[in-house]
Amino acid sequence: MKKWMTWLFAFLLIFPALTWGNSEATAETNDEDLFRVGMEAGYPPFNWTQQTDKNGAVPIDGQKEYAGGYDVEIARKVAEGLGKKLVIVKISWDGLAPALTSGKIDAIIAGMSPTEERKKAIDFSEAYHHAELVMMVKKGSPFEEARSLADFEGAKITGQLGTLHYDAIDQIPGVQKELAMDDFPAMRVALESGVIDGYVSENVEGLTARKINPNFVMVQFDEGKGFELSEADSTVAIGLRKGSPLTEPINEVLGNISREQREEIMATAIEQQPGAEDDATGGFFFWVKKIVEENGVMFLRGAGMTLLISLIGTVLGTAIGMAIGMFRTIPTPKKAGKRGLFNFLNTLFSIYIEVFRGTPMIVQSMVIYYGAAQAFGININRTIAAIIIVSINTGAYMTEIVRGGIFAVDKGQFEAAQAIGMTHYQTMRHIVVPQVIRNILPATGNEFVINIKDTSVLNVIAVSELFFQAKTVSGANFRFFETFSVVCVIYFVMTFAVTQILRRIEKKLDGPGHYEPYGNQMQVQKPETID
Amino acid sequence: MEKMIEIKDLHKDFGKNHILKGVNLTIHRGEVVTIIGSSGSGKSTLLRCINMLEEPTSGDILFKGDSILSDEYSLSQLRTHLGMVFQQFNLFENKNALQNCVIGQVQVLKRSQKEAEKIAMDNLCKVGMGEFQNASPKQLSGGQKQRVAIARALSMNPDCLLFDEPTSALDPEMVGEVLKTIRELAAEGLTMVVVTHEMGFAKDVSDRVVFMDQGVIAEENTPEEIFNHPKELRTKEFLKRILEQH
Repeated sequence: MKKWMTWLFAFLLIFPALTWGNSEATAETNDEDLFRVGMEAGYPPFNWTQQTDKNGAVPIDGQKEYAGGYDVEIARKVAEGLGKKLVIVKISWDGLAPALTSGKIDAIIAGMSPTEERKKAIDFSEAYHHAELVMMVKKGSPFEEARSLADFEGAKITGQLGTLHYDAIDQIPGVQKELAMDDFPAMRVALESGVIDGYVSENVEGLTARKINPNFVMVQFDEGKGFELSEADSTVAIGLRKGSPLTEPINEVLGNISREQREEIMATAIEQQPGAEDDATGGFFFWVKKIVEENGVMFLRGAGMTLLISLIGTVLGTAIGMAIGMFRTIPTPKKAGKRGLFNFLNTLFSIYIEVFRGTPMIVQSMVIYYGAAQAFGININRTIAAIIIVSINTGAYMTEIVRGGIFAVDKGQFEAAQAIGMTHYQTMRHIVVPQVIRNILPATGNEFVINIKDTSVLNVIAVSELFFQAKTVSGANFRFFETFSVVCVIYFVMTFAVTQILRRIEKKLDGPGHYEPYGNQMQVQKPETID
Repeated sequence: MEKMIEIKDLHKDFGKNHILKGVNLTIHRGEVVTIIGSSGSGKSTLLRCINMLEEPTSGDILFKGDSILSDEYSLSQLRTHLGMVFQQFNLFENKNALQNCVIGQVQVLKRSQKEAEKIAMDNLCKVGMGEFQNASPKQLSGGQKQRVAIARALSMNPDCLLFDEPTSALDPEMVGEVLKTIRELAAEGLTMVVVTHEMGFAKDVSDRVVFMDQGVIAEENTPEEIFNHPKELRTKEFLKRILEQH
């Protein structure tokens, strides 16, 4: 039993360490020589993630995976033209713009259209791809034969959040505009399950989706009967910081890539994208097996990252909670100066707790990682940033939990310690803290489990934890149910292992309920005086 | 006889409640003083004032001639000289019997771990708990816990032991073992102040009995006089009530 525990502990400690140590290129080389490009690496054929560098895929910064696709090819050509080294940074869609404006990346090449709204925040290069908007529907649905927007009257339609696809839905007369969705994988699941009748997409994405899932039909509209798009909307361009000196040279490079060349690159990308060669048939277990075989390592790395962040975050958070919780037990000092400082710190801690408990972690990540970089020029390693965010978030909750834990320690314990002359510090250190730790153990375990799950929001700051990896994989293979089933099991195994370990620790701390006086004779001294 | 503790016109208020209304009491070295009285008469508050678990509102307490209420007086020092035994035992829940007796010696008296363990073991054996040295508090019965608590207080080598109703939280069959331990300590000549409801015990063990009523000492005398020839009407009534209960 004990051995088993030791092994599990060792695993918990070593496993996350394996994912560590993949240093980020940005930290090593001079920034001037690098061309750092942000993309989702989960939007084939524009960009995707793969395990090897075949077909000239580029390694993703700070990870063991590679990025490929139309965007990557364009990025490579641009980097060559600029005479810089290409670095691909994998960031979720929502994190792209903040990453650019805060200087974490130099350009966004992620199939992004230069809309008026975006232009307020960032600049765009000339277009490097011209898109046509299409509608994706399910085979056999009444909309399969649609040829004009009018045919979609009464249909439940959605599009990707924050894209022109979504805004274009308003052009359909009498449409039921559904809530926008985060990404294509989500919309594909919604379409497959019948939650929506269709989603707005581009011909390229549509071709890909149709190719991989034969259940999908791409509706292309007759001339003049489709979506009306401005030039800006129907193109895809490179996002750049306002007033970036790169704009001019990049336009020059793009100008040298002919339309034919682009179409060829796109055709190759559609050909090469992961899953393209796969057989679309096969049952649930066939796919699960395939996903585990092909992406198992990627999932394990993601799980390792998740475990690393949540483990360190929980430990540090508990330490923060302990420190503040203990500070609050100090009796108010009598001297005015000390009392002022004491009250000031107390107020500060209260604000900290209220703010971090009262705001979502995803918002905190945005503010701390991108906000700090943009406002103060502070550039933090993203894994460290993630750990800091989870720690201070957990700390805010743990402070209150520790407070409860201290309350639960009997008043008599303090008095007994006082009565033998122990100071406040000695009492806390030797009597109260050990009991508080026991008291808060169940709640700490809870926080740990919550952290394992909540780290999934950290992909907005480009941390490749398990959920982000799963999104990437499903974005490539279009097998959402199977992919997320695998990930579901991994999450469960992690949280279940954690709860079991903590339960055992609790049991060990509690010890047996009875005591056998001579059960351990080795340690017992003979009573000397008993009359 | 050397004066150990002198209490002078002691008052204690909890908000608007006046618990102690001018208490004067002197305890000499080697003396066993029991304090009796009905609930709410201020017995426990008086005892807790002696080692400053409660801060008196006014009056003075001298320990070996020095005022413990002056700012310069070290409370930590005072408390090492005054052992306290609580009604609810208050054993440190995270420590076993031996560690309970060791921690104060090592942390406060700065004794070495080895020396502290030896002293702790001697005291555990003295109260008949030697074989339970590794037991955690929750593995012990009430009587056993209280005996360990006594050993813990003794391990600090106090000049005086304060007992705050040491048997009130015990099941009746365990009262005997704890009282027996206290009797043995009394026989050794240790100075003790005991707040108790055990009249038989008070009668046997005390050099002096103090009867408290409504925040003042109503009568103090030898046990012989108090129990057989009480002078005050309220002492008589209290004893009558107590005897009727038993």
